[in-house]
Amino acid sequence: MRSPSGAWGTLLRHRIALAGMVLIGALVCMAAFAPLLAPCDPNEQDLYHVLEGPSKSHLLGTDDVGRDLLSRVIYGSRVTLAMGAASTIFSATIGVLLGLVAGYKGGVWDMAIMRLTDTFMCMPALVMALAIVAALGPGVTSVVISITVLAWTGFARIVRGQVMLVRELAYVEAARALGASGLRIMFRHLLPNVTAPIIVTVTLALGGNIMLESTVSFLGIGVQPPTPSWGSELRVGYSYLEVAPLFSIAPGLMITLAVLAFNFLGDGLRDALDPRLRAEGPGPG
Amino acid sequence: MRVYVLRRVLYSLFILFLVSILIFALGRVLPGDPVQAVLAASRMGPVDSEVIRDLKTQFGLDRPLVMQYVIWVAGFVRGDWGVSIATGESVRAMFMHRLPITLELFLGSVLWSCIIGLPCGIASALKRNSWLDLTCTTGAIMGVSIPVFWEGIVLIYLFSVLVHVFPPSGYVPFAEDPLGNLMSVAMPTFIMGTQGAGLLSRFVRSSLLEVLGQDFIRTARAKGLREKAVILTHAMRPAMIPVVTITGLAWGYVVAGSFIVEYMFAIPGLGRMGVNAIFCNDFPVIQATLIMVALNILAVNLAVDLLYGALDPRVRVHR
Repeated sequence: MRSPSGAWGTLLRHRIALAGMVLIGALVCMAAFAPLLAPCDPNEQDLYHVLEGPSKSHLLGTDDVGRDLLSRVIYGSRVTLAMGAASTIFSATIGVLLGLVAGYKGGVWDMAIMRLTDTFMCMPALVMALAIVAALGPGVTSVVISITVLAWTGFARIVRGQVMLVRELAYVEAARALGASGLRIMFRHLLPNVTAPIIVTVTLALGGNIMLESTVSFLGIGVQPPTPSWGSELRVGYSYLEVAPLFSIAPGLMITLAVLAFNFLGDGLRDALDPRLRAEGPGPG
Repeated sequence: MRVYVLRRVLYSLFILFLVSILIFALGRVLPGDPVQAVLAASRMGPVDSEVIRDLKTQFGLDRPLVMQYVIWVAGFVRGDWGVSIATGESVRAMFMHRLPITLELFLGSVLWSCIIGLPCGIASALKRNSWLDLTCTTGAIMGVSIPVFWEGIVLIYLFSVLVHVFPPSGYVPFAEDPLGNLMSVAMPTFIMGTQGAGLLSRFVRSSLLEVLGQDFIRTARAKGLREKAVILTHAMRPAMIPVVTITGLAWGYVVAGSFIVEYMFAIPGLGRMGVNAIFCNDFPVIQATLIMVALNILAVNLAVDLLYGALDPRVRVHR
């Protein structure tokens, strides 16, 4: 393990990763301070001013029932980011646990868990997500569940591979010789040493999950109105593309920026945390 | 080698078996069982339990689950994929009818990927760590990060609303009007292609960088070959092997990727069929789509594994 400052240094020098971090910071601030930033109430309708272009009172114009688009885009960040975070936390938890067990226990456990992973991996994510959401009924909870069901496989694979690499090392053997239980070895000794790839996967999964959520909402069976989410906003706006292009282009741009930000950061993290890819050789420690 | 092939084939069949169970189970969880769908479609008033029981017998829903599974799999293998609840058509006929359209989209998108991705990847590898490399690498991440639907909306706005170059939606068969066909698939294939181009350029870059560090490249340079010859005849060929694999692997995901594009551009291919099936709970069609996509991914993975096994003996020993 290298000291965190070494990885930090690489990350800060990585221009693409830095851009990703700045963008993520901006998006999180936007979600956190939405009530302060939004000029209007995102759900306040004004039927005398529908589908208007940008003006002084509505910087991005208004939607089909006269709501302020800018405010809806700002509030939309809350739903989209929260759903991305929730599904990533759940899928990471499931995947890491299964990966730990498969990698440490080996044998039948490894067989069963890895066959399950392979099975889920050859299912097309979008089609499965749509089918699951259709089965559970549209809404925030079903989208989070469907993404969780599909996104854990990446974590399980990576953690299992890493655990298999470190489980034969002397310190694990020492812990076992001292009588540490399997659970203690898994959580105290193995997990802390496989965090680097988990962090990279979490970052990339956040981008992927936001994309999947938006796609499901764009197809109309995800987040339901009047809750402002970027995907559902885009869906309604798409039908007014000719009269009010910003209605769909603005929320879409936000989705793109969010996915891009997490992918930029994930890319940089991989370079920073994977010593094999680092150009300047191993750091101290 | 024979043992290796046998092991890989059996393994793929085993995963296919698990996939089929998963899909079958999904069918039992999804709302709208066929009986209700038929009743809703026939718009009969309230019906007595007799009719419902008859319908259940007709669909085999009164048998034990294991039997239902066996009957379903046996039918699928024989080519009986069931009948669409929404249209009453044979699912297999629907599938075969739409396959060429999705195939055309795939070929078009591979073409765009190569036109954009190959030069970018090669340029970044040759001018490593330059501004050109940074631009191409950033562009590659953008290519895979931009949501298909947003790219679609922006392109439709630019080229169909502002400037009327391409039709905003619809599909013209090639046999009817070749030029119209190319115009109608230009934007959809470009959108799918830019997603692939991002992946392709990253793979070309890393693959070429690896090859350029090899001894035979130094030898080629040492014997005085021109740089162009070194790159084109010596470095490109070995660097292309993993790239071809990636293109192959992409096909498995194309049917899934074509869902949004076909939906947005109203192209009557497999993706649109799948989306429509989900909207109207047409489970036989959803089932066939899922199985075929999974089968595709498995088959391509198997082909890649076997190819690698044939090329590299070490793979055969390790799993």
